[in-house]
Amino acid sequence: MSELSSTTGNLEVPYTPPPVTPKLPPREWIRANLFSSPFNSTLTVVSGLVILGILRGLLSFLFNPIRQWDATATNLRLLMTQAYPEEQYIRVWVSTAVILILSGLSLAVWRAGSAVPLSKVGRNLVATGATMALLTLLAPFSASATVQWLIASAVVAAGGEGIRRFSAIRSGSVGSAGSVGSGGSSGDDGRTVTTLTLLGVALTGLVVSLWVVPYGHHSFILDRTPRVMAEPGTVAMTTKLPWTVMLVILVAAYFLGRSLRDRLPTNATRATLLVSWLLAPPVLLYLVLRDPSFDMGHVLGTDLPIFGAYAVGGAVLLSWLTRPTTGEVGRIVAALVLIVGFCLFLQPMRMIVRIDMLMLACFALAAPTFAGGQRARRRYVVGWLGVLGVSSWLITAINTPSTVDVPGDFFMGGLSLTLLVAIFTLVVSFPLGILLALARTSTMPIFRLLATWFIEFVRGVPLITILIFFSIMVPLFLPRGMHLSELAAVVVGYSLFSAAYLAENVRGGLQSITRGQHEAAEAVGMTTGQKTVFIVLPQALRAAIPPLVGQCIGVFKETSLLAIIGLFDVLYIARAVMPNQTEFMGSTRENVLFVSLIYWIFAYQMSKASQRIEKRTGLGER
Amino acid sequence: MKSKLFKFLALFLTIGVVAAACGSDSEEAAPATTAAPATTAAETTTTAQVEVVAEGSLLDVVQARGTLNCGVSGSAVAFSETQADGSVTGFDADYCRAVAAAVLGDANAVNFVALTASERFTAVQTGDVDLLMRNTTWTQSRDSSVGMDFGPTTYYDGQQLMARVSDGFSGSSTVADLDGAVVCTNVGTTTEKNIAEAALLAGAEITLLGFETSDEVYETFIAGGCDITTTDGSALVGRKVKQQPADQEWVIFPATPISKEPLGPTYGQNDSAWADAINWTVYATIIMDEYGINQANVDAHVGDEAEVGRLLGGDGELQTGMGLAADAFYQVIKQVGNYSDIYNSNLNPVGLYRDGSANAGWLDGGLIYAPPAR
Repeated sequence: MSELSSTTGNLEVPYTPPPVTPKLPPREWIRANLFSSPFNSTLTVVSGLVILGILRGLLSFLFNPIRQWDATATNLRLLMTQAYPEEQYIRVWVSTAVILILSGLSLAVWRAGSAVPLSKVGRNLVATGATMALLTLLAPFSASATVQWLIASAVVAAGGEGIRRFSAIRSGSVGSAGSVGSGGSSGDDGRTVTTLTLLGVALTGLVVSLWVVPYGHHSFILDRTPRVMAEPGTVAMTTKLPWTVMLVILVAAYFLGRSLRDRLPTNATRATLLVSWLLAPPVLLYLVLRDPSFDMGHVLGTDLPIFGAYAVGGAVLLSWLTRPTTGEVGRIVAALVLIVGFCLFLQPMRMIVRIDMLMLACFALAAPTFAGGQRARRRYVVGWLGVLGVSSWLITAINTPSTVDVPGDFFMGGLSLTLLVAIFTLVVSFPLGILLALARTSTMPIFRLLATWFIEFVRGVPLITILIFFSIMVPLFLPRGMHLSELAAVVVGYSLFSAAYLAENVRGGLQSITRGQHEAAEAVGMTTGQKTVFIVLPQALRAAIPPLVGQCIGVFKETSLLAIIGLFDVLYIARAVMPNQTEFMGSTRENVLFVSLIYWIFAYQMSKASQRIEKRTGLGER
Repeated sequence: MKSKLFKFLALFLTIGVVAAACGSDSEEAAPATTAAPATTAAETTTTAQVEVVAEGSLLDVVQARGTLNCGVSGSAVAFSETQADGSVTGFDADYCRAVAAAVLGDANAVNFVALTASERFTAVQTGDVDLLMRNTTWTQSRDSSVGMDFGPTTYYDGQQLMARVSDGFSGSSTVADLDGAVVCTNVGTTTEKNIAEAALLAGAEITLLGFETSDEVYETFIAGGCDITTTDGSALVGRKVKQQPADQEWVIFPATPISKEPLGPTYGQNDSAWADAINWTVYATIIMDEYGINQANVDAHVGDEAEVGRLLGGDGELQTGMGLAADAFYQVIKQVGNYSDIYNSNLNPVGLYRDGSANAGWLDGGLIYAPPAR
């Protein structure tokens, strides 16, 4: 900022491009960076040996014949969905397909992916081949296995070299002829390929390998005594067929999105997709995976009339409240509705009545703010009907018994439980955290004090304490007849915990917004709400991206604490359940290594996503 | 302007309250999931349950619900293992099935709830589970102040020690021989306390190493990080069978365990009808074992005279008087098996055999005994 202001005087500063660091050929690069002095050379050799030693140790751990990798291979389903019944598994696949369709469409509509020079892909493949060969030589393989792996490495490297040459020839014939031999500068300008294509090729390769490569087939036979059958051959049909279908769906959704994005208005399409993403978790969870068996008599006789009454009554009330002429009387009425809502909430009656009343009170309270013309009022009432409809539907679905019959008190476990808790916690805690940060920085003392106390209290208590409190203590405080499942209690507690941390991250962002921004917004006549929503928050959130993503990764990883309160998350299954199967006693290390790989993949993707967002918003660059 | 922000915040705080309430609402679904009668709404089901608990026995509640909520460990080798497809198998799991067969006529009408050691009794008290089959030792404090009642012991266990023969230990070693040894065990269990007390009494100085999971204990033991491991004898035998490396020879001692661990069904106190149903399910498996009537040949004995005939639902049967179907115990034997069936199929694979152990029948010198059915 200060540099900018110093150069915006009358002085004409000619633009000079940033100096380009010349790219050294490999040999000179190594000499300049790794062997520049005797001390550096020693360091390089010593650390190189240490790294090789560690790699060798890791490889001999992985490929030791006593390792029970069968444990992981056999228990994959347990790790993913725990006890979700096999005959209902189509529901899991449908949910996956919905997520993949949304992903494919979003990739196309947001124009994801960037171009990568083909020559770079080739070079990376060559490097991969070389690394594979090195690892093969380090690993404690038998001679024949070593030869096989070396051949595979050579094939990879040769493929990479082929791609590199192919791109060099094409760019050579198109571009300057001199650049073919010298490589370097203009070699990168040759043919490019998008990252999406690479991803597609990689996924296709993976799926094709399911049909071709004999990974082994682990079938599980539940006899009087259960036993595991490990058979040679490709993986089971119940694995490879769904995954093939999933790949086809993903690709089809992407191309559908590409054809749609040019015909439909971009903003409307993106808004629809965003709403779909937000609705996807509850809909998939409560309607697809849980499969409530709706009792039509009850739905038509009770739920629908309640919905109708609130829809009509609420619409009338809100359209009156949003009339500009209503004035202060409206606020008093809204406050009365809130009091009625609270009183009703403490009375034993249908939960749906209590919740709808509270929602109506919220809408009534906010109504005078949205008072205005015919169109604005109609939009507000339609908003009420939409929220009421979706929530009524969800509450009815939640309260309907599931037809999916599973052992245990909850129908999910393993990775799906981990993801479920992480997603719901993040979705709830993000808005809550932003509100807490706004409250803490607001000028209103009550809000500021409440927010500060809440944040400081929650941050002063360990997460595990909060989880135990919510899983064991909270059910005891609830009024009689109100039963809170352990999982919901935990998600509420975890969300409050995460919101406190998020609030501090957001507050950091808020403080980075200079006074001038506030004053400028007020100068153009913005209300406090407009200023916050359109000027302050976007900049504050942008500045807070790195810590916010750090918090997201933390939330995802700390779901492993669920194991302590007895929920079967993926780590608990790997650490406590699988090693206690008669077949796989003593397999903890293999299982935990595999689970750490799962955690790493998710956390790494989150951090990559954050890097992309930072780049797109220009964080740290301007 | 500030008043608008104020209202904005008020709005969202209220929404937060609603969200919390919403969360609580979802919970009514959880018991409803298990209480599968699809025709009733969850809210009415929940209240109905509460009322019945107040008035009658858990037996009526379970029969009205149609499923048995059985608390198990879910991670105890051979007793209740969670299998790759999520099903629960093992000795304890089979006794859950036996109770379901007796009470509901269907051995598969069990809803297994995996519980940690610390939450098991709370789960019974809050009604989350009807019955605990979670290797729970029958102790005085649990029977009295914790508020549990215990059924007949199904497995007599006891804490023992395991060492390497190469370190000079043999089957006749005693705790006094432990002087100077490093002993590995799980933290937070009574095994830690038992071995410390036993060593103190025997005058042996030992170093205790605690580990979070059993697997870590045995990894360390195999690697030579400790001289001794100690836990219940049943677990030691399983580990020895499955994990003893080719270059080591392990031995379990002393022959008389250093602690008594009678394991059996556990349930809330002061509910006689429910206790009777569970106890007599266990006794039926034992009595049928004494007569040699098992899963395979039970059909041939349905019309028998006297005790067998009565237990299988023939003349003079006593099951209807205790709120069960006349053929309740026939279903137990047919669908799950007698004591030997359950024992052998689950515990033989990990090297535990009835012969010569405390779990042999009383006619064979063991402790497994049932009162007469008449």
